[in-house]
Amino acid sequence: MPDHDELSSQVGPWVLGALDAAEAAEMELHVQGCSTCQVEAARLRGVVNALPLAVDEVQPPARLRARVLAAAVASGSPDRVDAGRRARQERIARPRLWAGLPRLRRAPAPAAAAALLVILLAGIAIGALAGRQSAPTPPSQVARYQLTGHGQLAGARATVIDLRADGVVLVDFSGLPALQVGKVYEVWLINSKGQADPATVFVPDTNGDKVVLVSRPLAGYREMAVTTEVGPDGVQAPTQQPELYGNLA
Amino acid sequence: MGDRAAKPLACRHADDAPLPAGGGGVVGQARNDRELAAALAAGDHEALAELYDRYSGLAYGVAVRVLGDPGRAEDAVQEAFLNVWKRSGGFDPERGSLRTWLLASVRNRSIDLLRGRGAHERQEQELRPESVESASWSDPWREVALSLERNAVREALANLPIEQRHVVELAYFGGYSQQEIAQMTRVPLGTVKGRIRLALEKMDSYLRGRGLVDA
Repeated sequence: MPDHDELSSQVGPWVLGALDAAEAAEMELHVQGCSTCQVEAARLRGVVNALPLAVDEVQPPARLRARVLAAAVASGSPDRVDAGRRARQERIARPRLWAGLPRLRRAPAPAAAAALLVILLAGIAIGALAGRQSAPTPPSQVARYQLTGHGQLAGARATVIDLRADGVVLVDFSGLPALQVGKVYEVWLINSKGQADPATVFVPDTNGDKVVLVSRPLAGYREMAVTTEVGPDGVQAPTQQPELYGNLA
Repeated sequence: MGDRAAKPLACRHADDAPLPAGGGGVVGQARNDRELAAALAAGDHEALAELYDRYSGLAYGVAVRVLGDPGRAEDAVQEAFLNVWKRSGGFDPERGSLRTWLLASVRNRSIDLLRGRGAHERQEQELRPESVESASWSDPWREVALSLERNAVREALANLPIEQRHVVELAYFGGYSQQEIAQMTRVPLGTVKGRIRLALEKMDSYLRGRGLVDA
């Protein structure tokens, strides 16, 4: 068992995130019971928290804003936290680099609130939104898949972003041709038997772009495809061969 | 460590900067981070949009720096904003700023993505992203304060001996452990520990002298 002097020399690397998992767990345990190291960690954490400011700003692609807002709508309302519990938590030193940041208990997000918020994001096609809840500190679990256009949709493409930890699937379309009046693009999920399930419908903006949410989880599906169908609600089975599609693996 | 006689900035953090009293003109309706956090916790999507507009450039910059891949950086930023959105009800402004929380989340998500795609697969080339200066600030006071703050952090890093700066950057932006850094740089582990400690001490001293670190 390392002594205090040895452990205290690890406070800096711990706050910086430079310990491996076992070392970090040991440090966390030590700091929780050591007021000296708590003070030291809090002091050095201020430096570590400032490090991101050393990086140059980079303007993200414009579509990312729509993705973030759409994902927030799909994920429901923010979780609520019990003030008493939070106060108790705050007396305990925090692990990892997000120490000093909130912890939550899990709470369901009301579906009604999510539906109301959809209105704020008019223009984003959304399927049925169920209330969702996420783990307090979900690990990063993002999968991306590409859809490629063919034939009349040769200039179109899409990126499927599966935020597994939050149960959110976004599809970021670009380069889609304008639709005839009364038509919509319909998104299909195709299972291993070749059966196509309708996922959502949408109309792209004047630039041929759109970020849409897919309400179904992708598990069990091997492909995503897009066809042009009759609006406003689309159809239950595709009426044509898709010209924009890709694998979900 | 540079000019220690420099005066502390007028405020500790740009995101906590008070709006100019009366006659502020264009500043108008911009909410400070505390107000923004409260609105987020209440489920206000406009607040999330405001948070995004305020910090997306910084957040994306951190993600690109860590991941070296604009596409993956988008995922990290999206996850981080979603994390802040979902957990905003537990935000306590007394324990740190909204910006600190968001950027730490971006960094950690980015490191997770980096580790997830392979054993320390790295992109070594320097990215040259576009329009660094084009972030959409609505509050000139916040912009000035943030600029001063960022300059101080860069100075604090730049003033470190290169071997100390290197270990800090490898750990924070590269996600390497001190053990891995020792192996990579072929330096004894104890030396790496010492460099980290000295680097953080010097930066703390430098930034504290300018009133820029969290207490």
